[in-house]
Amino acid sequence: MIKPKRLLSLLLRFIAFGATLAAVILMATSHEKGTFFAVSYEAKYTDTPAFKYFVIANAIVTVYGFLVLFLPPGSPIWRLVLALDLVFIMLLISSISAAMAIAQVGKNGNPRAAWLPVCDQVTKFCNQVTGALVAGFIALITYIILLLHSIYNFLNPLFEKA
Amino acid sequence: MGLQNEEKLELGCSSSQPRSKKWVLLTVRVIAFLATATATLVMALNKETKTLVVATVGSTPIKLTLTAKFQHTPAFVFFVIANGMASFHNLLMIMVELFGQKLDYKGLRLAMIAILDMTTVALVSGGASAATFMAEVGKNGNSHARWNKICDKFETFCDRGGVAIIASSAGLILMLIISVMSITKLLNKPKSISS
Repeated sequence: MIKPKRLLSLLLRFIAFGATLAAVILMATSHEKGTFFAVSYEAKYTDTPAFKYFVIANAIVTVYGFLVLFLPPGSPIWRLVLALDLVFIMLLISSISAAMAIAQVGKNGNPRAAWLPVCDQVTKFCNQVTGALVAGFIALITYIILLLHSIYNFLNPLFEKA
Repeated sequence: MGLQNEEKLELGCSSSQPRSKKWVLLTVRVIAFLATATATLVMALNKETKTLVVATVGSTPIKLTLTAKFQHTPAFVFFVIANGMASFHNLLMIMVELFGQKLDYKGLRLAMIAILDMTTVALVSGGASAATFMAEVGKNGNSHARWNKICDKFETFCDRGGVAIIASSAGLILMLIISVMSITKLLNKPKSISS
């Protein structure tokens, strides 16, 4: 009924959609109250523009992934999907890279700029952010596999008939 | 008569239209190479030293020398490496287009160029975004994490970093255009080889 190639592509897209959704949810629900030298404050994802960008970028890709899941196989929009896949891969990479840069400073600090690491005080927050980054990575790799799969399919249309 | 028509068709498909496209692609590659090379060099040579007078003992002031280098921040190191590799990739592609027209490996030349272009776009976008957000923290600080801004003390460092990031972003947009053109070339290549 459904061709195995179409089933594989659908499965990969579902995995990618799930991964970006998980990244958004994990990052958006990460907040923790901690004490920092007897001053209590709350660490949220809105503290850094990098994490906000991560949430927004992954939300956009989640909506896109959801819409593409319902695209019928024969329509000519698949060429546009190929181009949009490349653009959204770039968006995902930049969001993960930005969030990781800030998370790395939060974990290790930067002694030369007198920036102290904050992960010791808000461990649960840091762990949840790490989880969101891992989900983002999984989504990225899945989208890259999908892009290569799409290009391969466009290059070999004769093989499907055999 | 039939053979002549076939010959004309084959020659027409492969030589007339892509010629101007080839020069457009080459020019965009040269500009992208210049942009990423500028970003690499400006950030790699980014260094600022500042001496502050900390205290005065009697009549001799005690000076403290602070240096701001790009190596202090892993995000900037990644930025330099990513842009360096992108410049090398662009240079390699320019050389291959100018001098290596016959280079091919089992007909996969266009596919390899397209895939390499995509990976370079990925690399440059990662480097540019990480450096941008680190620069934003350096410029505005982060009150929640008690991270003080450093751009008011090291103005030249921040300015040069900003120039490098802008150059890299311009290079990124150009590389995206190049990547789209390479993929278009790959998908439109004449399929008369196997059939």
